[in-house]
Amino acid sequence: MNPNDSDASRFSPATADRRGERDLDDLLVHVARGDQGAFEALYDRLVGPVYGVIRRVLRDPSQSEEVAQEVLLEVWRNAARFDPAMGGAATWVTTIAHRRAIDRIRSTTAAADREQKTADVSPPHDEVAEAVEASLDRERVRRCLDSLTDIQRESITLAYYGGHSYRQVAELLSVTLGAIKTRIRDGLIRMRDCLGVN
Amino acid sequence: MRFFRQDLHTLTGAYALDALDEGSELTRFTRHLTRCQSCASEVRGFREVATAMAFAATTEPPAEMRDQVMAAVARTRQLPPEIRTHARPKRARGTAPWIPWLSGVVATAAAVVAVFFGLAQSHTQNELNAARAQNHTLASAQARVEAELSQARQHDQALAEILGAPHVTLLSHSTTKGGVAVVVLDAATRQLVVATSGLPALPAGKVYQLWLIGPVKIVSAGLLPTARSGVTTPVVATGLVKGDKLGLTVEPAPGTKQPTTTPIVALPLPI
Repeated sequence: MNPNDSDASRFSPATADRRGERDLDDLLVHVARGDQGAFEALYDRLVGPVYGVIRRVLRDPSQSEEVAQEVLLEVWRNAARFDPAMGGAATWVTTIAHRRAIDRIRSTTAAADREQKTADVSPPHDEVAEAVEASLDRERVRRCLDSLTDIQRESITLAYYGGHSYRQVAELLSVTLGAIKTRIRDGLIRMRDCLGVN
Repeated sequence: MRFFRQDLHTLTGAYALDALDEGSELTRFTRHLTRCQSCASEVRGFREVATAMAFAATTEPPAEMRDQVMAAVARTRQLPPEIRTHARPKRARGTAPWIPWLSGVVATAAAVVAVFFGLAQSHTQNELNAARAQNHTLASAQARVEAELSQARQHDQALAEILGAPHVTLLSHSTTKGGVAVVVLDAATRQLVVATSGLPALPAGKVYQLWLIGPVKIVSAGLLPTARSGVTTPVVATGLVKGDKLGLTVEPAPGTKQPTTTPIVALPLPI
């Protein structure tokens, strides 16, 4: 597909159908008009990934809950500013969630807290095991992560799930900055192709 | 130069995963994104990968969170759609438009939240964000601020513009009568929002009046609304000029044309 095609064509049918991406966009349009019922439906669809990704990054349950609440309130408040041309509703919401979790850990106190809570940087696989409905996503993502080189996989998971900056990732993996930038990008390109994202 | 651009281009992955440090690199790359169509398109694709990773991490939150969020939603006013004016530099639509204004909104909430915690000096945005992160009771305070903001219906458009501005300055100062005034200043559009907390109640027939005290003249910026639970709803002032200070005086109701008493606070505005 031509990379310059319109934004609407960027979602492969597989991705759109799998998460009901278009439904979510519609819901968000109604949310933007103040429809609380639509917000409840959106909440039920997205709270799992929102809380899940924040929990992965922050680890602390009460902090994660607090940040997730802030994120969801921001979604409500800012729904009118969602721009579908920039990507689907799910991407908009989960991007905010990840960004907020990162903001939280990069403030000094939270970072100190986090160091105390864990000496281990590996993602806590068992914590997500109970989320049954995400099994398909998990399976696909795991399969695609497995198709990467070790260093690509580690750098992507340390950055996204671990909430580390690429400089920290370079430090943790003892690789140069230039190499880490490339590994993250190459890994994401492979993930993108593997997941069927255009 | 070509090498430099390619070097920037390889940051698409780190950027999409929020793995660039705050600072010059992030600023440079964000600017680059506004000009590099293929980078922006690549970032969009990578964000979708990140979305799949978020879905893969799906975890059920505590059940009571739903009621808490819905209660907060019920008392939180929504921001209107972003309306661009030609006076403001066009923001980088087509890149990552929600990040800049989000930080503005968060900063504003933090500024007003500072009132609740009695912070009485000027703060940088970062300090306020750090203070905010430290405070675990903040969620409920923020909800109160949301409620206060939602009361300011008559200022909808002006408030939303300032809250959404990319670079706001946050100032707060205690008054000589006690209490704190908090200002969110958007120097680019020469507007501000002011809220107060903990000012003493006034006897009947007296009001608090805001002033823009300039080098040439003094202009009334309106009356402070009556405080509820010690907090006044935000007031918007526009048309600031260089050298203005924000002043607050006690005046006979319904306000005067020029101040008749000594200001209880006079805050220089960095414009």
